[in-house]
Amino acid sequence: MSTQPPIGMVLNIQHFCTHDGPGIRTTVFLKFCSLRCKWCSNPESIHPKPELAYNPSKCIGVKECGLCVKECPESAIFTVDPDLKVKINWDLCTNCGKCVPVCPPQALSLFGQEMTVDQVLDEVEQDSTFYRESGGGITVSGGECLLQPDFSAAVLAGAHERGINTAIETAGNVPWEYMAKVLPHVDTMLHDHKLTDPARHKKWTGVDNARILANFKKAYETFPDKAFIARTPLIPGVNDDEEHIRAVLAFIRPHKNVVDYELLPYFRFGESKYGFLGRVYELADFQPPTPESLARLRAIIDEAFGRTSQGQSLPRP
Amino acid sequence: MNPATHRIGLNNGGGYAPGLNAVLTGVVLAASELGWEVVGIRDGFEGLLFPERYPPGGLLPLSPHVTEHLAIAAGPLLGTVARTDPFHVRIVNAQNQVEEVDRSDELLETLRKEQIDAVISVVGPRALSVLWKLSRKGLKTVCVPTSVENEVAATMLSFGFNSALSSAVETLERARQAAEAARKVGVVEVLGEHAGWLALQAGMAVCADAVLIPEIPYDLSKIAEKLRKKLQAGRHYGLVVAAEGAAPAAGQVAASPANPLRASLSPGATGHEGGHVVERSGHVAETVALQLQRLIDQETYPLVLGPLVKAGTPTAVDRQLGLGYGAAAVRAIKDNQTGVMVAFQPPELKFVPLAEAINKVRTVPTNSVFVQVARALGISLGD
Repeated sequence: MSTQPPIGMVLNIQHFCTHDGPGIRTTVFLKFCSLRCKWCSNPESIHPKPELAYNPSKCIGVKECGLCVKECPESAIFTVDPDLKVKINWDLCTNCGKCVPVCPPQALSLFGQEMTVDQVLDEVEQDSTFYRESGGGITVSGGECLLQPDFSAAVLAGAHERGINTAIETAGNVPWEYMAKVLPHVDTMLHDHKLTDPARHKKWTGVDNARILANFKKAYETFPDKAFIARTPLIPGVNDDEEHIRAVLAFIRPHKNVVDYELLPYFRFGESKYGFLGRVYELADFQPPTPESLARLRAIIDEAFGRTSQGQSLPRP
Repeated sequence: MNPATHRIGLNNGGGYAPGLNAVLTGVVLAASELGWEVVGIRDGFEGLLFPERYPPGGLLPLSPHVTEHLAIAAGPLLGTVARTDPFHVRIVNAQNQVEEVDRSDELLETLRKEQIDAVISVVGPRALSVLWKLSRKGLKTVCVPTSVENEVAATMLSFGFNSALSSAVETLERARQAAEAARKVGVVEVLGEHAGWLALQAGMAVCADAVLIPEIPYDLSKIAEKLRKKLQAGRHYGLVVAAEGAAPAAGQVAASPANPLRASLSPGATGHEGGHVVERSGHVAETVALQLQRLIDQETYPLVLGPLVKAGTPTAVDRQLGLGYGAAAVRAIKDNQTGVMVAFQPPELKFVPLAEAINKVRTVPTNSVFVQVARALGISLGD
């Protein structure tokens, strides 16, 4: 058994998050995901290893620079006359990252870096005052944080040792053993119920939901003292229907430790990242849900939880 | 390759062009003359990677018996994919997790098991890199360039361009007549994300008022000026042809589309897991039409040809080119020249190493004869 503390592949650490669990939180986003949701606004979180990102608007052109073209060992950076800005051949790029340090305007960068548990917690601990005042803490998210179970468990355990409340965000598509390893260190588990029908779940996320639901049910039953918050990323035309909301409510209501059910309105702020990664965002025509449909569906949830108003915070940006 | 080579594979690895069956016929007839077997691989390499998806089999034996009754104008017998990529195949693994896996080694092994000695692949510019990677891993391959935008460099003419051009000219002529009848200015968008050959040559052929291509950033005020003069002369209509990659010059702000006319292929329509090549079109037509309308005080309307031009009858040029490319690809294998792309460099068909064919796009040079003729005809290029 290794005595070395685990190293994690971290995408981003975002301070002052108010929609990732109770209070003001710092969210640690890990890389690696086992789903391929068509609406994903964090495409850079899917692949487990660091990935090259290229922002053409920052490129100063091969006449002024051209250093990356010379540096690339795979001939993956080239130009097309008369455009002076470089282009990336994504088929040839191996994400080695050699071009990143030579780019003066930082048009080239890498998504994802290795961090130790202490490095993560030292950064998270900076906002301890806010956590105390607001009932917040750390949230480990992603990607799918449970695909790095050793690292996630170590970070969350370390957070507890530092007196910081813990939460995770998960889609649940992992072996149960991973969930069982991490949950003992979690105070609140936010988890996604994306679609009800297994065939539609497979079409829109890549897999059906049998194991996901089995994991959630087992988690509710195995950890009765923890708080669970169900969520649905509400995608118009896909899952913004009463049927799905009521199906989720029927699934969670028998379990008193599922304390809330949140609807997260679809947004497209992550669309530019697809371009940076050389990918295409498929949901070009999709719009966010209307305030009316959001209110109507939230009213169904309020009624199920026996409350008059949900006291919803502002729609997630 | 010694003359003992007797079984070659053939596929369409990169996009659809009218008359792909011409290449197939050329390969089959030429190979048959040498006493070789040809076996078609369905849908790029999918017929080998996912044979279970093809009840009749992922491979299709080909012979002159098949081709003599095969209509060249029909859809491709072997099917096609938008882009073949055995290096990133999306699967759901044994742990019920979605991942992209490299199945190139497996593909090469399957080709060996099928005793396929070499593969002729009809590919567009994007798939050329994939075939190059496969050739570096030991695949003996000869590529035939296809591009309805004619953007494969190293060859003067990509297969499919002439047919797309012919189709575009016919439709643009109708668009011109429609604009005249309606007394409006039509802004017609054609394919051409990186290279403006299709827009330029088709626009020239119908004597459009303006042609916008990616290589020449446009200033709409120049086009507006030309159109105003025409309108003042009593000719109350106009036609602007724009490539989908055309962009405004620095300092110019493109209008935002009022009603985005995006013909994106919604995942709800395809149901295809993994593929994320989405054709977008309509953005240039919409924004140029909107902005031009404000400048010339005449009603404009956007129209998108987009992928429609790929669905034409293959022209005589493409029939000859397809058959010629197919036969030349077989000759390359016979001469032991693999890891190459067949190229038409008039008056000859040559073989260009794939390493030199990748990462290059054949864009319109500013001194191109087509640009000169267009200017001489008074067609505005927006500069």
